[in-house]
Parts: sequence; structure tokens; C-alpha cells
Amino acid sequence: MPILEVKDIHKSFDNEAILKGISFSMDAGESVSIIGSSGSGKTTLLRCLNFLETPDEGTITVHGEKIFDAHAPALKPEEIRARRLHFGLVFQQFNLFPQYTALENVMLAPKITAESPDVKQIEETAVKLLEQMGLSDRMNNYPHQLSGGQQQRVAIARALALKPDILCFDEPTSALDPELTGEVLKVIRGLAEQKTTMIIVTHEMSFAHDVSDKVIFMDGGVIVEQGTPAEVIEHPREERTKQFLAGYSSN
Amino acid sequence: MFVTVTLSLLEGFLGTIKLFALTLLLSLPLGLILSFGSMEKLGVIRYPIRFLIWVIRGTPLMLQLLVIYYGPGIFFGVNIWGGSPNGRFTAALVAFVINYSCYFSEIFRGGIQSIPVGQYEAGQVLGMTKRQIFFKVVLLQVIKRIVPPMSNEIITLVKDTSLARVIAVYEIIWNGQAFIKSSGIIWPLFYTGAFYLIFSGLLTLLFGYIEKKLSYFR
Repeated sequence: MPILEVKDIHKSFDNEAILKGISFSMDAGESVSIIGSSGSGKTTLLRCLNFLETPDEGTITVHGEKIFDAHAPALKPEEIRARRLHFGLVFQQFNLFPQYTALENVMLAPKITAESPDVKQIEETAVKLLEQMGLSDRMNNYPHQLSGGQQQRVAIARALALKPDILCFDEPTSALDPELTGEVLKVIRGLAEQKTTMIIVTHEMSFAHDVSDKVIFMDGGVIVEQGTPAEVIEHPREERTKQFLAGYSSN
Repeated sequence: MFVTVTLSLLEGFLGTIKLFALTLLLSLPLGLILSFGSMEKLGVIRYPIRFLIWVIRGTPLMLQLLVIYYGPGIFFGVNIWGGSPNGRFTAALVAFVINYSCYFSEIFRGGIQSIPVGQYEAGQVLGMTKRQIFFKVVLLQVIKRIVPPMSNEIITLVKDTSLARVIAVYEIIWNGQAFIKSSGIIWPLFYTGAFYLIFSGLLTLLFGYIEKKLSYFR
């Protein structure tokens, strides 16, 4: 059974259709990269999965359980909270909480959302995650004392602390200086090697090629082409994919 | 004479501080509620509150004091405040609380709306409730941002309390002025300025301290 099945997602803003019927599925342990130009709907798709936007049409199924159905009655806030935890989201702009240290950022949500939090256990997990992110010596720093790359790694640890089934990345390196993208990509690569189930929206073509099990190319709110990195990035069949990739290599 | 005047002014200043402190205590929470109302999606809540804020910020506080104190008697034939000093003080307090909640609500609104939407979204995807996001993520950031405009407004409040004398609320200016009639001297009135200066000086130090306390994050 696929871990995630997305069927026929539609989403419009002010009568402008952004997603026009998106369907795909993925298995546990896979990493899927979504590529495409700005405005193709990649970010909106991630936001739909994380319940930051409500699709107008379509269903989202995780582990065989339909967690969203546009035709079902609207979900209550507590249902949304429970269901969105299947997913984690790492933002382009990190969105760390400035008044908390790196460690506190990672611990906050597990601490305040649990019924009877085991703070010691939560702290151990948080420390371990930050170590895994290569931030052992930065745990007690506040976000403004960290570089962009370090902040983004804290954000990844923060998302992992809630043990999501599927971790989503929304252009995780687009807000970083070029010399800082490497450290973040390295961490994500490490997660892929550990078979973390991930969806990565990215403009880093060679990274998408190396890390993903599957690549999805989106354009104009539809999936134009999907397949293995070799199929989509090396040997695209569709004209639009070829044009998009050609634009990349000429840059 | 100097000691007599100082003691009398100190007594008046007690009234000033009482009005100041009670206004602050009541209008800070009320202002927060008004700010939520003025950001409410529902027009039936938002428009009346925005209208109230417009009226209160658009008319002089002195006029509001007079309307609130004399209004009920003139329009409904009942002086709900009574003629006692306590009644007049209560009327002044009501006017100050309404006036300052409206100003505070706008400062709160500015502070709340200046928090990037990403902070809310980060809280949401981490499974926090709206309440948790407000109290655990947003509030301290809002407080940090509104300390400078708040300190401005609060120092203004110290001096605005002197307006209460238009409905004969005993405060320091009232007592200072009394010496003109009773002893034919004007310097006690000028001397009141020193009390305001010292008090707002202390407040300035306090706000500086808070600002410094909150400078550990950006």
C-alpha cells in the first residue's frame, strides 16, 4: 500500500486555478522531488498536504486512511490538527521562533501539544536530532545568532521532532546564500539515505537527480511528467519538460 | 510654606497616580480585546469597533470627560455618577479607560499584524492550537515590538490625567491651583511639573529596562 495517495487535487484562488487535478502516489521510504517553474503550483500542493490550504476538489489518503476529502463535511480544528501531523513542513524562510533557542524551538511543539509530556524524553530526542543536523555546539543559540543554513537545519530538526510520516520541504535552500545551500542539502541527503519519506520542492536539479526515487515535473497546475530521475531529468519525453530543463542548463 | 505645598501636592499626586494606575490596569486588557475585535473577519463586530475607535481618537479627551460626566444627566435626567468626589473620579476613570483602550488597541493591532504569517503557519504545521500559537509564539514578539509606542502612550497618560480636573477630580494640578486662591501664590502650580517629570523619568527607566530585557532575541 502506498504511504500517500493524492487524487485529483484542484485549488483556485480568486477564480484563478492554481492546481488543476493533481494525482500521484508514493511509497514509504521514498523521496519525491517536485520541480517546475515559479507559479506552477508546487508550493500550493505542499500547502494543501499540510492543511495550510483547503483544496476545492480531490482526496488525500495516508496509509489507506482518507484524511482529506473535498466532498466530506468541513473538518473541525482538532481534526485538522491531528491529521496534519502525518506531514511535516520545512519552509523556505525557516520560520523559526525568534524568542526560543535552537533546542527550545525543537522542543516547543512536542512539549505543548502532548497531553502529558515527558520533558526529559522530548529533550533527549531534540538533542539527538540537533546532533544529527550537525548543530551540537549551537543548541543554546537564538535564531538570530545562527546562519541561514544553521537556521534551516534547526527547522528540519523541529519538523522531525514530531515524527511525521512524510516530511515536506518547500524550496529549503532558496532563501540561502549559495555557499550555505550545501550544508542543508547534505542533511536532506542523509535523511534520504535513512529512508525518510520526503517530498521536496526544489530548484536544485542535480540534487533532485541524485537524491530522489521519483521526480515530478509540474507546469501550469498539472503534473506534466513523472518518473525516475533518469527518465524525467535525463530523458524527458514531454516538450514542456525539455524546455524547462533546457532553461536550467543554460543558466 | 514649601513643606506645606509639597505635602499638599504629594496628596494630589496620589490622586494622579491612582487614576493613572487604574486606567492602565483596565485599558490594557480592554485594548487587547478591542484590537481582536478590530481585526475580526465579521463586519458586524469589526465595523462598530472601528467606528468607536474613530470617534474616540477623533475627539478631545477633555470633551469625552465632559460628555461622560454630564451626558447621562443631560440626556436621560439621571446623574449616574453622583456629585461626590468618588463619583467624579469614577466618571473620569471610565472616560480614561475608554479613551486609552482605543489607543492601545491600535498599538496592539499594529504589533500583532506586524508578525510574519510564517510564524503562525509554523505553529500550525507543528500541530499547535490557535491559542497556543498566540500565547507561546506570537505574544512575546508582539510585546517586544510595541514597547516603544506603548511607553510613549503611557507617558502621555501620566500627563493626561491632569485633564480630569475639568470635572473637579482632585489631582495634583487641582491642588497646585488651589494655592492661587488660598494664598495668592502661583509657584505651587509650576512646582507640579517636577512631580510629573520625576514620575515620567522613572517610567522611562522602566521601559528602557524592559526593552533591554527583551533584546536577547530579534
